[in-house]
Amino acid sequence: MSEFMRLDAKAPATLGAVVEAVTRLSTLSEAKILELVSAGRIAELFPFKPANGQAIPADTVAEDELAEASALRLSRKQRDALIESSLPAAANKKSRAFSKG
Amino acid sequence: MTAGDALWWDARLGPKHAPIATRADRFWSWSVLLPLCHIVQRAKRRYCRPLVIWARTDNGRFLRVGMSILIEDYPYLDVAHPGDAHFVWFMSAADAGVLTNEFGLSHPPALARVLLDNAIILSQNAGFKGRMGLHAAVAGGDVLPKVYERCGLLTLPRAAELPPAVRRLNDGRFFYADEAVAEALAAALDASR
Repeated sequence: MSEFMRLDAKAPATLGAVVEAVTRLSTLSEAKILELVSAGRIAELFPFKPANGQAIPADTVAEDELAEASALRLSRKQRDALIESSLPAAANKKSRAFSKG
Repeated sequence: MTAGDALWWDARLGPKHAPIATRADRFWSWSVLLPLCHIVQRAKRRYCRPLVIWARTDNGRFLRVGMSILIEDYPYLDVAHPGDAHFVWFMSAADAGVLTNEFGLSHPPALARVLLDNAIILSQNAGFKGRMGLHAAVAGGDVLPKVYERCGLLTLPRAAELPPAVRRLNDGRFFYADEAVAEALAAALDASR
């Protein structure tokens, strides 16, 4: 769940808030969540806000750039990769190298 | 569907859809929905399958025209035949006029049918014989249920019970495909696979 801690820096969101939000949302039916989202109220229940500054992909791509989704049931590894790809790219954090000499 | 696809939809189509009051998805943010759906369903020990439909534009390149988030292994809505199915939680088809006027796609495909077909095929391949269900968002008014009827889905009668795991009163806006309907709908699109 740590990926979901990338929240709006100005929001009073903590891991606890996310867990609380998910716990609350998971008690609701899918139809109820659909209603809340359609009413524009989901931000009240789920404190996730995508980071600003992400590059918007191009409108169109060439055919050879498309990757066809599998129509088969996915393996656990594929499912994990799918979840990972749903998250905005994190800023690359440079790791410090050992000093030399 | 990646975070980039969601961002593109929110940035490029979202503002075009927002003023269309009849659209149930006019306030949806796919960039929020995508992680939300995954995490909520993981809490329920289920998985989501978010998908993007691409269509060829007049210049031969491909454009995102449809988005959906399905839930795998969801209770089948017809309690007389208990079992599992796939559930279409969120789905959006780009407005045909916007596609034509702003993105160079002169002949937008019948996107609702294609979006539903995705759920049917995934359900068939998962061993659920094409069984699928969905709830027509209340924000879609009287028009949205008619869209699903025209697509060939069955209406779950308002008096019908829902599976206990659905945790919801039946408001008459649930639709589904049984095995026979799913096979007929899938077969109708076989020529274009």
